[in-house]
Amino acid sequence: MMSKRHSNHALRALMACVAAMVALAILPSAAFALTTSKATARPNEDGGTGVIGGIPTRLTWEGTVDAGEQISGVTLELPAGTNFNSSTTKLTALEGLKRMSVEGEVVPEGSSLKVKFSEPVGEGLLIRLEVEGMTFPEEGGDVVVGGTYTESGKEKPLQAAKPIATIANTPLQKLVDHLDNQDWVAAWNSVQFLGMFLKPQIMVTSFASLFTGWLVCLFIVIVAYPFAIILGLIFALMKISKHRLLRAIAIVYINVLRGTPLFLQIYIMFFGLPMMNIVIDNNILGIIVMAINSSAYLAEIFRAGIESIPTGQYEAAASLGMGHLQTMIYVILPQTVRRVIPTVTSDFIMAFKDTSLLSSVGVMELMMFAKNLTSVTGNMTPYVTAAIFYLIVTLPLIKVVTIIEKRMANSERGGGPRPKVKAAAEKDAQDETSSAGAEPSLAEALSAPFKAGTSVFGGVADVR
Amino acid sequence: MFDKAKKRVARRNAQHAVPPALDPEVAAREAYERDYELTKHHFEPHEHPCVRIEHLMKTFDGETQVLTDVNLTVWPGEVVCVLGPSGSGKSTMLRCINLLETPTAGHILIEDKEITGHLLTKEVNKLRQNLGMVFQSFNLFPNLTAKGNVMLGQMKVLKKSKEEAEQEALRQLDAVGLLDRADFKPAQLSGGQQQRVAIARAVAMHPDILLFDEPTSALDPELVRGVLDVMRDLAENGGMTMIVVTHEMGFAREVADRVVFMEGGVVVEQGTPDQVFDHPQHNRTAEFLGSIG
Repeated sequence: MMSKRHSNHALRALMACVAAMVALAILPSAAFALTTSKATARPNEDGGTGVIGGIPTRLTWEGTVDAGEQISGVTLELPAGTNFNSSTTKLTALEGLKRMSVEGEVVPEGSSLKVKFSEPVGEGLLIRLEVEGMTFPEEGGDVVVGGTYTESGKEKPLQAAKPIATIANTPLQKLVDHLDNQDWVAAWNSVQFLGMFLKPQIMVTSFASLFTGWLVCLFIVIVAYPFAIILGLIFALMKISKHRLLRAIAIVYINVLRGTPLFLQIYIMFFGLPMMNIVIDNNILGIIVMAINSSAYLAEIFRAGIESIPTGQYEAAASLGMGHLQTMIYVILPQTVRRVIPTVTSDFIMAFKDTSLLSSVGVMELMMFAKNLTSVTGNMTPYVTAAIFYLIVTLPLIKVVTIIEKRMANSERGGGPRPKVKAAAEKDAQDETSSAGAEPSLAEALSAPFKAGTSVFGGVADVR
Repeated sequence: MFDKAKKRVARRNAQHAVPPALDPEVAAREAYERDYELTKHHFEPHEHPCVRIEHLMKTFDGETQVLTDVNLTVWPGEVVCVLGPSGSGKSTMLRCINLLETPTAGHILIEDKEITGHLLTKEVNKLRQNLGMVFQSFNLFPNLTAKGNVMLGQMKVLKKSKEEAEQEALRQLDAVGLLDRADFKPAQLSGGQQQRVAIARAVAMHPDILLFDEPTSALDPELVRGVLDVMRDLAENGGMTMIVVTHEMGFAREVADRVVFMEGGVVVEQGTPDQVFDHPQHNRTAEFLGSIG
């Protein structure tokens, strides 16, 4: 992550280097009366070693006065965006290990800091400026500390020091920084459990960095699942086939895949294929393994679904003269699809969760990111965040399953919205109920079947 | 495969001492003489019966013998009602006619063409187009609307266009008095309405023969009438050949040209409704009719 931020500003760094080299070329080092020894900044990243722009930190600058020189002032010039305005500066002069207090006037002015010594600093001394509470530019990048110094009334440019690498201050960093300064966060983290499992700062950062892993998980399962469905359907049809060989193949495939752990299948595929010199991208291989594994479960779901369709449906289709394939496609499968949707959704949830096993072979998915973050921070919060990411997908799906199941049970009882009946057809409804409602006499009821087309029957005159 | 099936049937026929199917001309002549008094239906001497069942035998799992020796002829346009106690093999016989059950031995001939034993799947499907069937449990396709149920066979088997099929479906639904329920799913219809849709579905294929397998047995008594009305209309105005397995004595007496009484896997007695209902020749028939009536 850090290297990425650096590379964003590679150009700027390059330019700084070029500038430094040009300066060196023009002014030979002997010409420097003040040799810059160091320019550093204190890390201000929470739990890290980075220097973040926009957040107060301490800048330390040191320079050695060369022989025969008297330095009366130093001006540090930093790139625009740097802010010295609310900083306090400590001036020190060192002769070997001997500290000498130096008096001087410090004028912070936006991105520059003017230091004027009361008395010129003599040769051989190391001048140290410690600027507390300054901020680097928010956008981050390599910061070159340059400027000028005053030697016997003349201004001369400062020798450039090694650039300071700074990290851009993202909204996330600002939020973490904000959280760091909150009393309630401190109180929260002081409870051992909360601090270990639900530390707000880490939760915020891990939400950002786990997101990519979450997308990888979703990508794997969403791409794998259509293949799993097609494969599953093929093997389901093979398993109910009349041909013994097809049936045997399907049974072996389904039973082996359902009878062995997914973990083992992942190992065999990820370590076995490279040994056969078949090299496939990790994510794609992950998709293949997930698709094959799910297809076995789906095959069983589909087979059960197909077999749950009553034989009457096959007979009805056959009696219309429909062939076996037609019956499957137009009658059986549409009904099967409706029946298996809840079970397939449950299986999808399982498959989504099982992508976590791919972390064991280095697929950069959710679990992998969580593991890495936890080992860096020594905190359990990334795992809790991963759990939340899994639940974001699974909880709504679980709800969907419940709703579909309820709706299907309802529609099988004949519930649900009905189309509007045309007014002209009310007589039909009467037809159905009249014999119960009108209470015909017993004699009438018994003789009714023998009296064709009489008023007792009614409603047939318009037939054909 | 073709020869194998043929040989198997021949072996079974030999095993059960079933003679080969009669020559069409001979059979027609014999049937004409035999059936003349047994049915109200009027047929000509030169006509051939459209369904001929000779020595039909059906055994389940090699043990349970359901049909022992069934002989029956049905003439074009005739309405035959098959009565009998449960387990007498009525439904099995009906299901053998469109090969939903495979006969163990014997012959079934539709339009003088033997259908038992050696048909290819394609021919079976072709045969079934001409034999509409209405089931006791309706067997509508629950995922389709009433209209969709009637349209499916027309589109997929008769290869009609969607528009043609829809027109025909609406016409048939109108005929059974359910035009207004065209867009209803089967689950939203009453049993009687469902059965009427099932009849419309069978009729829409314009079959030569309609088979009814206890079409009203699963219905509440007050819903039976609507279904019987539709069937009566088909028989009287449609001129359809119908074989009806039923327990509706009233319907049989009134609509049937011929009533067939089956028991123990054989046809015990057949004749016009008057003969069978009023003057049964066999004790079993009388007993059965007595227990029902």
